[in-house]
Amino acid sequence: MGQIPSSDESGLEPGERTWSQRAQDIAAVAWPSFLVGAMATMLFFAFIDPTVLQEATFPSWDLGRMTGYALGFFFFWGIAFASSALTLFLARSGTRRGPN
Amino acid sequence: MKTDPAPKGAESYYEASKKVYPKEIKGRFQRLRTLAVFALLGLYYLLPWVNWGDHQALLFDLPARKFYIFGLTFWPQDFYLMAWLLIIAAVSLFFFTALAGRLWCGYACPQTVWTEVFLWMEHWTEGDRRHRMKLDKAPWGREKILRKGSKQLLWISFAAWTGFTFVGFFTPIDELGARLLTLDLGRWETFWIIFYSFATYGNAGYMREQVCKYMCPYARFQSAMFDRDTLVISYDVERGEPRGSRKRGIDYKTQGLGDCIDCTLCVQVCPTGIDIREGLQIDCIACAACVDACDEVMDKVGYSRGLVRYTTENALEKKETWVLRPRLIVYGVILMALIAGFAYAVGHRMPLVLDVIRDRNALYRMTNHGMIENVYTLKIMNMDTAAHRYTLEVDGLSGIHLDLDTDNITVESGEVATLAARVRVPENGMTESGNTITLTLRATDRPDLKISEPTRFIGPAPRR
Repeated sequence: MGQIPSSDESGLEPGERTWSQRAQDIAAVAWPSFLVGAMATMLFFAFIDPTVLQEATFPSWDLGRMTGYALGFFFFWGIAFASSALTLFLARSGTRRGPN
Repeated sequence: MKTDPAPKGAESYYEASKKVYPKEIKGRFQRLRTLAVFALLGLYYLLPWVNWGDHQALLFDLPARKFYIFGLTFWPQDFYLMAWLLIIAAVSLFFFTALAGRLWCGYACPQTVWTEVFLWMEHWTEGDRRHRMKLDKAPWGREKILRKGSKQLLWISFAAWTGFTFVGFFTPIDELGARLLTLDLGRWETFWIIFYSFATYGNAGYMREQVCKYMCPYARFQSAMFDRDTLVISYDVERGEPRGSRKRGIDYKTQGLGDCIDCTLCVQVCPTGIDIREGLQIDCIACAACVDACDEVMDKVGYSRGLVRYTTENALEKKETWVLRPRLIVYGVILMALIAGFAYAVGHRMPLVLDVIRDRNALYRMTNHGMIENVYTLKIMNMDTAAHRYTLEVDGLSGIHLDLDTDNITVESGEVATLAARVRVPENGMTESGNTITLTLRATDRPDLKISEPTRFIGPAPRR
């Protein structure tokens, strides 16, 4: 039989390890909008070839597909981010305040 | 909530966050997770280097808009298959969650798997839990710089390799490697390698359990799939309480104590820093580290294992656990149907696409011989693995005649051929000013390889 493990002296209490409200807010806006942005990018570019889109809009530019995908991704991420942030703002502000 | 400042060196990106120092453990579930880490990360890091035929076995070639998955080539037209696959993945997750709880979280989630490896590196360089906590509290000195520095070196190298491999799924990895060595990477390749490396470094090195607690949608809705027969990790309150330390060799039961010696090892090993003895919690990712820790302690003190164990709520209440229940059967049947349908759809894919585009400039033209002529641009996409020669036929109007600019339509595997087609119909063959005609493309060597595409044939309003 070995030694009985001794008690932990670190004094960590569950529940203390939480992010600040702001960190939680940033995470709750950035990450879901990232996921939705990625999904939208896949869906969009499955049907639309970035080079065709570019020829139809800015034919004088020379962007290439990879730039098209990347711009598309950040566009969708940005849109979703804005929407999530507004939802969070509306849910957190206003006169009707729930228990915090 | 206390907001005492984090000790120097232990600061994380966010205020009011206490760092969790998970203790290393050995045990059967830890072995299972190590196995899962090697299997999953092995697949991740090695698969891009495996070739199948003349290309990478798994290559999502975004620049060329083609996905190679072993022997199969997928095109944007096959997107519905990918959507289908995602639905299958989601239903599988439901199925396994109902059956065995958060198996995904504990063994297969990339967040868990990469965090595990980053923890190993932390352990190699900074030592075990006690040493890590001491090191964080210690002032900066030679040893701290060396240990922290080597950890960062390992972390950053591993993250960089991860990012490189990630991009290697989208651009041929041997070419990527060659370009990396000659410092000749493309802009976006460089960007995504850094992006993914940084995400790995941040998620597995620093954010860790916070991702599960604050960012993961699955963690929030998985409880909807739970019922009283779902496998969960639980502390046996009846057996363990009242907990407390005791001298060795005494009959603790006469002192009114339960089996829990309150060593808090289950709390120390927890990657999310919870106390399993407080009951089922949403923060629990079911990694079973506490089960391993408690089993080891029970062995040492000579009690039977399983004070913390995989069990079900029904079993804890000494009721019967019902594995084959309606919820599971419904998920199972849906899953099987989806998989069968997917397999059929992949097996019966028509690897041929014919796009018919009408000439935009002129609706129709009268030829010298009194025929009505419409001009079309045809795009033929051969998605098969072999080259084929095709024949094209047209029907739908009496006396209809097709004139191509070539009599040899051969399209290589994975190529798109564009050709002009002139369709002529005698004036008296038209019954309406607009008619539907059908173009049929057929492979000469494989009669089952054919596709029909309807289009409009326009002429003048017929004289009656």
